[in-house]
Amino acid sequence: MIQIKDLHKSFGKLHILKGITENVKAGEKVVLIGPSGSGKSTLLRCINLLEVPTSGSIIVDGTEITDRSVNINKARENLGMVFQHFNLFPHLSIMDNITLAPIKVKKMPKEQAKEKALELLKRVGLEDKADAYPVQLSGGQKQRIAIVRALAMDPKIMLFDEPTSALDPEMVGEVLEVMKELANAGMTMVVVTHEMGFAREVADRVWFMDDGNIIEQGAPIEVFENPKNDRTKSFLSKIL
Amino acid sequence: MHFLQPVMNGLYKTFIYENRWEWFLSGLGYTLLISLAAVLLGLIIGVLAALGKLSKFKPFKWLASLYVDVIRGTPTMVQILIIYYIIFQSVDLAPWIVGALGFAINSGAYIAEIVRGGILSIDKGQTEAGRSLGLTSSQTMINIIMPQTLKNILPALANEFIVLIKETAVIGMIEKIDLLGAAQRVQSLTFDYLYPLLGAAAIYYVVIKILSIGLNVIEMQLRKSDIR
Repeated sequence: MIQIKDLHKSFGKLHILKGITENVKAGEKVVLIGPSGSGKSTLLRCINLLEVPTSGSIIVDGTEITDRSVNINKARENLGMVFQHFNLFPHLSIMDNITLAPIKVKKMPKEQAKEKALELLKRVGLEDKADAYPVQLSGGQKQRIAIVRALAMDPKIMLFDEPTSALDPEMVGEVLEVMKELANAGMTMVVVTHEMGFAREVADRVWFMDDGNIIEQGAPIEVFENPKNDRTKSFLSKIL
Repeated sequence: MHFLQPVMNGLYKTFIYENRWEWFLSGLGYTLLISLAAVLLGLIIGVLAALGKLSKFKPFKWLASLYVDVIRGTPTMVQILIIYYIIFQSVDLAPWIVGALGFAINSGAYIAEIVRGGILSIDKGQTEAGRSLGLTSSQTMINIIMPQTLKNILPALANEFIVLIKETAVIGMIEKIDLLGAAQRVQSLTFDYLYPLLGAAAIYYVVIKILSIGLNVIEMQLRKSDIR
């Protein structure tokens, strides 16, 4: 589903990603862990070109998105993204937040988009918030709406950039619950997170990143119980 | 009471005789009309110029920067004289429309900087969220960034309107249609500067005071809706 080949990203002199080559299969759930500054978020943001890679290639669902002639807006329709700070549109109601992209991008009739939004809102238990504005919601509710907003575009892949890091502890659970449900439904997911419990439970594979490289990867049980790299060991010993 | 006599006489000649208060009223009407038309048209010009300055396309950026630079670097009075006596000299347009166009071009440059600051103050995450949903950059600008920007800059725009009301007095020196123009027309009949000019000044002051108070109320309302 996602093929990353020798991916490099530099910000000026700062070399963030140093030649990443990895694949994500359809339906696979990959959890990206590692110390801050290791390039996890940058890698994730490269996958939908919010950051343009310096070199290397990324193929998503058969389309080489790093090819400059590719219509990136079209490619992004397949890639849902959930942000650490939710990034809901504060001037729009929840309903309009969700239906904006289906109506504008997919040219979906308004009624159909609304119907679909309500269905998705029911799935996350927030159908009563359709007419509310983002400012009236709690952090956990906002993030669930942000997930719904991404799902409304029927993406094939969902990218999560530290989706629970900005939440109060008691709200983390409700967001992870939605993500688990999504995983069980077979969505291809790439998740940057510090929630090791979630990684253990949901991930098919864990990628451990350090200093711009994926230095260890494997099933969660292997990586967590039996890390081979010293850097992985020291990181896990600090957070587990 | 005889020392009040010249005052009463002056006020009478300036405002009452031959219903001259109507001149001031119509002048004030034109002043407000020109200012409002200029600020609205200036907003359109300002948004375009702001987008131009923020554009990655070099010719747009260059053109918008040149416009803002030239307008901000030359006196308003000179710009308005050029508009009246050179650009629209042989065009048959109502003087107030020419004035409104002139001040729209002038104000557009200042509004461009207000809009540009407003756009830059919107969190980058808003653009990223829009683009990640597949919206193009112009769809993101129109549906997500601009509505938030306009709400944020509303007080600054209202302030620009108030500034314009004062600046449009320049028109009174060219075409005597506005509030200052009315004062001058009266003065040319009575040969008295005192009452027409002080009268015009008092009317400007009162109108701007009322608008400022209104602006404060609007700003407080806007802030309230942010808290909810």
